[in-house]
Amino acid sequence: MNHSRRCKEVTFVRSLQRTAAAAQGGLASRALIVSRREMLAGGIGAGALIALPDLSTPGARPAASAGSGSRYVLLYGTPESRPFPGGSVAAALSPVTNSRTLPAPKSVAAKLAAAPVSSPDQSSVALITVDKVPAGAKVTLTLVDSTSAVVEKQGSLTITGIPDGTNILPTPVFAPGTATIAVVLAITEPGDKRLVSKKNPHTGAPAPMHAVTWTSHHALAYFDSRSGGFAGPFHLGNAPALALTTAAANGSDLFLWTTEEPRPHHPGKGRPRPAPLPWVSAFPLGSGRARVSVPSPAPWPGGEPAVTLATADVARLVNGRTMQVSSALTGDVTQVTIGALNVIRAKPSAVTMQSRPDGTVFITKPGIGRAVIADPAEEFRVRAELRFPVPAVPLGAPASKAVLSPSGGTLYVLGGAKAGGLSAYDVATGALTASYSHGTTYSGLYQLPSGTLLAVSAANPRLAFFSPALSLLGTADTSLQISAVF
Amino acid sequence: MAGYDTAGQIQDTYVSARDEFGEGPAFWIRYFSPSPAADIFSDNAVAECEGAWASGGHYVGPVSAPYQSNLSGSTAQGQADAQTYAASMLSAYYAVGPLVLPSSKRLYCWLDQEYSTSLSLDYLDGWAGYIANYNFAGLGTYPLYPCLYCDPGSPYPNCSTMAAARGLNVPAAVWSSEPEPCGSLKNAPSSGAEHCATVPTRLWQFGEQDACGYSANVDLDVGTPGFFTPSFCFNVRSDP
Repeated sequence: MNHSRRCKEVTFVRSLQRTAAAAQGGLASRALIVSRREMLAGGIGAGALIALPDLSTPGARPAASAGSGSRYVLLYGTPESRPFPGGSVAAALSPVTNSRTLPAPKSVAAKLAAAPVSSPDQSSVALITVDKVPAGAKVTLTLVDSTSAVVEKQGSLTITGIPDGTNILPTPVFAPGTATIAVVLAITEPGDKRLVSKKNPHTGAPAPMHAVTWTSHHALAYFDSRSGGFAGPFHLGNAPALALTTAAANGSDLFLWTTEEPRPHHPGKGRPRPAPLPWVSAFPLGSGRARVSVPSPAPWPGGEPAVTLATADVARLVNGRTMQVSSALTGDVTQVTIGALNVIRAKPSAVTMQSRPDGTVFITKPGIGRAVIADPAEEFRVRAELRFPVPAVPLGAPASKAVLSPSGGTLYVLGGAKAGGLSAYDVATGALTASYSHGTTYSGLYQLPSGTLLAVSAANPRLAFFSPALSLLGTADTSLQISAVF
Repeated sequence: MAGYDTAGQIQDTYVSARDEFGEGPAFWIRYFSPSPAADIFSDNAVAECEGAWASGGHYVGPVSAPYQSNLSGSTAQGQADAQTYAASMLSAYYAVGPLVLPSSKRLYCWLDQEYSTSLSLDYLDGWAGYIANYNFAGLGTYPLYPCLYCDPGSPYPNCSTMAAARGLNVPAAVWSSEPEPCGSLKNAPSSGAEHCATVPTRLWQFGEQDACGYSANVDLDVGTPGFFTPSFCFNVRSDP
């Protein structure tokens, strides 16, 4: 952990917070006094400062709200040059009109502790950093307005009593309809450091190696997005556990899938025994004590999409085809396989799932060329099924390769492996209604709240903005290899 | 000596693959957790091993395909993904009596990095360090070796990230997804896999289902010259 670098990033966050506060107080012109050196120095402040010219316009909002076309997008990924630090974020401005010259995205943050998470209404994005401090580790949550890219709120808590070298993996979870953001903290501590012998992979000869045994447990904390304060951490005392979890929240509870880490009881195999099952627990928001805790069918949690349903039940989509629903009341899990998605291929596919305002869920599985709208109220009966050619990179990042228009009437999807580009389909009929292909193969597709589409590709210009009619609005270069867009 | 990789379960796959290619594979590569969109080997390990035994290819190599954006993440993220991967392999090992470690005492553990995914050095350090350090089943032999499935020609950071890694965090081998001349088990290409500058390519996915038009749910793989893939896989040494 590079302590000095982390501190610098946090400083930029605070600088931006002050700038935002000044702007909200009618002091936008004062914010413009910030020197160019500070604007370009990097860190989260630099990215947001791009918005300042808009702030200086009398009566203007920091950036256009959803519907007018202009807003920031946050790009998450890896810089294309060494040392390839993880968890970097840049901010890009989406165009208002056709062929607008777009400024290059600016660096916002590097070495985030975990991927950003967007609020259910996409109005905010939560960024989390972890800094080493004398007392332990400081976890800082920064809530960024996704329209203006300015900091809305920020708060920290300190994890104490942990040994040097501890890794902390935080996962923010928005609780719909509340000001609470739960944070699941996977805390992995090193122990039993020792010198051992291991075979060289190329020669087979033994070589000395420093080995460590890692042990994980979880803690919960709750961030109040109104006050910026934290409650917790509440340590769950569940060591040894696997650090990976799956979590979702409704208006009253955090639902958390965890797994006990299988460990050897003695050297060797012993008698055959099955893999442990995961458990799902419901924690009342603000609490570290589970209200209910029940076993869940496999697989273990770790990257599968999960959403909160209109009923307040929580669902996760496993194996790319089976919906497991945890009851909001009892936590009990029921599962149903969605027939339209029950297609096995040699290669797994990226899978995405989103809750829609009408209570349905929208699921994409580009590796089999399908997207469905399913109704949880009818055991996930498929209301609409769209089929499209499998895109060139159906599993690689970004995971988003097909999106639904806000009205639900149009599916936008990356073009097939041969054609590339983008395609639009009428959801009611399944018919292809528009396409754009100039030889570019995109790897990810997003729809911004304004309706503007953003396609991501490998080489610059990596960002291509399109109208809902698939007209190219503009492009932008970035030095970030993009893994996700928020 | 060619084999298959598949996101489906071996017992559901091997008959159609045998029908299509006319013989059994030398090995299988199967998905372990975390692989959120695949069927997981350790969730049904006994049946999978029964399938592998029946297929004639009773060697099973592990691969994990985490949520791909994770690979751009932090050391903690890489470590967490590796921890689940190691636990998934250990669970399968404990669940099936005849499933044993390779005689070479080197189990190559593949991380799936797809073409458009960026691998950060922070993530690789966390992931590879955990795998290399894992005291599998308390044996004290540290048989797990981090390895990377990737497209060496991709513009996204993969080879360059490995070149920046140090010590045990340097992957032991690359499994190259390119080029893709297709073919079958009987006429697998002998050489020509793409490679990185600092880590040798040991396994080559020369035929991918969609690109090559295979009807069975398998991709085809072959070890590069001098590399005997089954020696670096789990061995199902008898019918479970």
